[in-house]
Amino acid sequence: MEITAVAPSTRTVPRGLVPASAVLGGTLLSLVGLTWDIQWHSDVGPDTFFTLPHLFLYAGSAVSGLASLLVVLMTTADAKRARAVDPIVGGRAVGVFGRTFAAPVGYLISGTGAALFLVYGLWDQWWHGLYGFDAVIDSPPHIGLLLSISITMVGAVMIFAVARDQRWGVYGAVAAAAALLVFSMVTSLGLRAVPAAFASPVSIGTAFFSVMILFMAAHALDRRGGALAVGVSVAVLQAVFWWFSPWAAKVYADATGLPLRDYTDGIPGLPNMIPMCLVGVAVAVELLHRLPVWIPGAAGGAVIAALVPVQRVLVHGGSFPVNARYLTTIVLAAAFGALAAMLGRRFGHMLRHLAPAKENSHA
Amino acid sequence: MRKTLLGLLGAAALLFGLATPALAYEPVNIVHTEKVQAGPYDLTVGFSTWPVKAMQSLDFTFAPEDGIADKTGKLTMFYGQKEFDDSPLARHPRKREVWGLDIHAMPAQGTWTFRFDIDGPAGPATGELKNLQVMEQPGPPMGLSWAISTIPLFGLIAFIVIAWRRTRPASR
Repeated sequence: MEITAVAPSTRTVPRGLVPASAVLGGTLLSLVGLTWDIQWHSDVGPDTFFTLPHLFLYAGSAVSGLASLLVVLMTTADAKRARAVDPIVGGRAVGVFGRTFAAPVGYLISGTGAALFLVYGLWDQWWHGLYGFDAVIDSPPHIGLLLSISITMVGAVMIFAVARDQRWGVYGAVAAAAALLVFSMVTSLGLRAVPAAFASPVSIGTAFFSVMILFMAAHALDRRGGALAVGVSVAVLQAVFWWFSPWAAKVYADATGLPLRDYTDGIPGLPNMIPMCLVGVAVAVELLHRLPVWIPGAAGGAVIAALVPVQRVLVHGGSFPVNARYLTTIVLAAAFGALAAMLGRRFGHMLRHLAPAKENSHA
Repeated sequence: MRKTLLGLLGAAALLFGLATPALAYEPVNIVHTEKVQAGPYDLTVGFSTWPVKAMQSLDFTFAPEDGIADKTGKLTMFYGQKEFDDSPLARHPRKREVWGLDIHAMPAQGTWTFRFDIDGPAGPATGELKNLQVMEQPGPPMGLSWAISTIPLFGLIAFIVIAWRRTRPASR
């Protein structure tokens, strides 16, 4: 009887995967909401608190936040009962408010980001009461909200990096880092507030965050190819959002009976903020790994900043002047790229310390 | 199970019932108008708040007396003497019978000029709304608003510094 010979399935979901996926899923909801919302404002316009893109943004932080809270409460309960806490779930537990809570450090960060999102939501409401429903992405409260979501995304990277010796940990860390990189392209718009007529702070910020996250990924995993995996994942997100954002804005406009704006060009807003050269930079990061990190970092930063206006011309048409401001931007992006590479490598090492692997038992 | 479902449905109904006013798109309420003569075209510029304050968003409407159907145009904004921006005159998304700018904020305090280049049955013509005074921004100084808004960033940096110090021995 073959049936009796087959052992009952003992495959279970790896420990830590479910809450980690919930946090990552929440961050991806936020990302979808953001690209949709940006496109909505450029292609359609009318806004309320409860538009569908807004609900995605709120839901993203809610899902990540509740998953984080649940893990912290369960870890606290385990700690109170003096049960062993498995650090594969979000890393070592740290005491919060004295020893009131025991929070795995990854979930502490992701949950803190989600809690901050609530606080900055109130700050944003107050702001809109005073300034009207300004549909500008880079108002101070919006940057506060974007930073809060970014913190949740950093937490997601940490949560998966802890499990980097398992396949799901590697895939999750790459996906979470890609989401953080894409999101950071929008957060960088806050740098418009930096008064610098001699260079473009946004281009420099774009180069800085891109290089930093690529190097972080290159050094956080046990194997080579982390930077390339993140670069390719970002390109996939860019391609999917390139199609999704204008499509979703149009479908939602049709569903709510709203017309598209006159003179809408339909160019995807968020996807076009992502440097298209990122895969090339990621390949360079992988190939030049024997060089001191600041060299590929500086080169990557310079290339990204140099190609920002080229990409704009490719997508929107027109031309751009090769002037002192452009050249200064490239030089500064090279300097910041070098710094970003060094920081990224260090952050990669810090992520490795989170893991309960053999090499880190002393940390 | 049924109780749970009913409870959830009730909560959803309550949420969306209460949220209904927030789901409605705001109508465009014009509280102040100015007249602009662009050659043969009489243009009424409408503002949904008055006076205009820097960074405070409002709806602008640009309405030729006999409609926009057979006309096209361009709006150019000047801050003082300096050209700031230009764009084709597009229908207001929430008031489609006129041109307009929806929830648009003037970025800086000072004197602004709107120049309208209109082309229609009576040929091309230009008119200007001069001396549009944009008042000081409301609310706290921007430095304070930015300081409040970047607390998460500085919190993250502080966390990184702590983590950096704790992981130093293993750094190469």
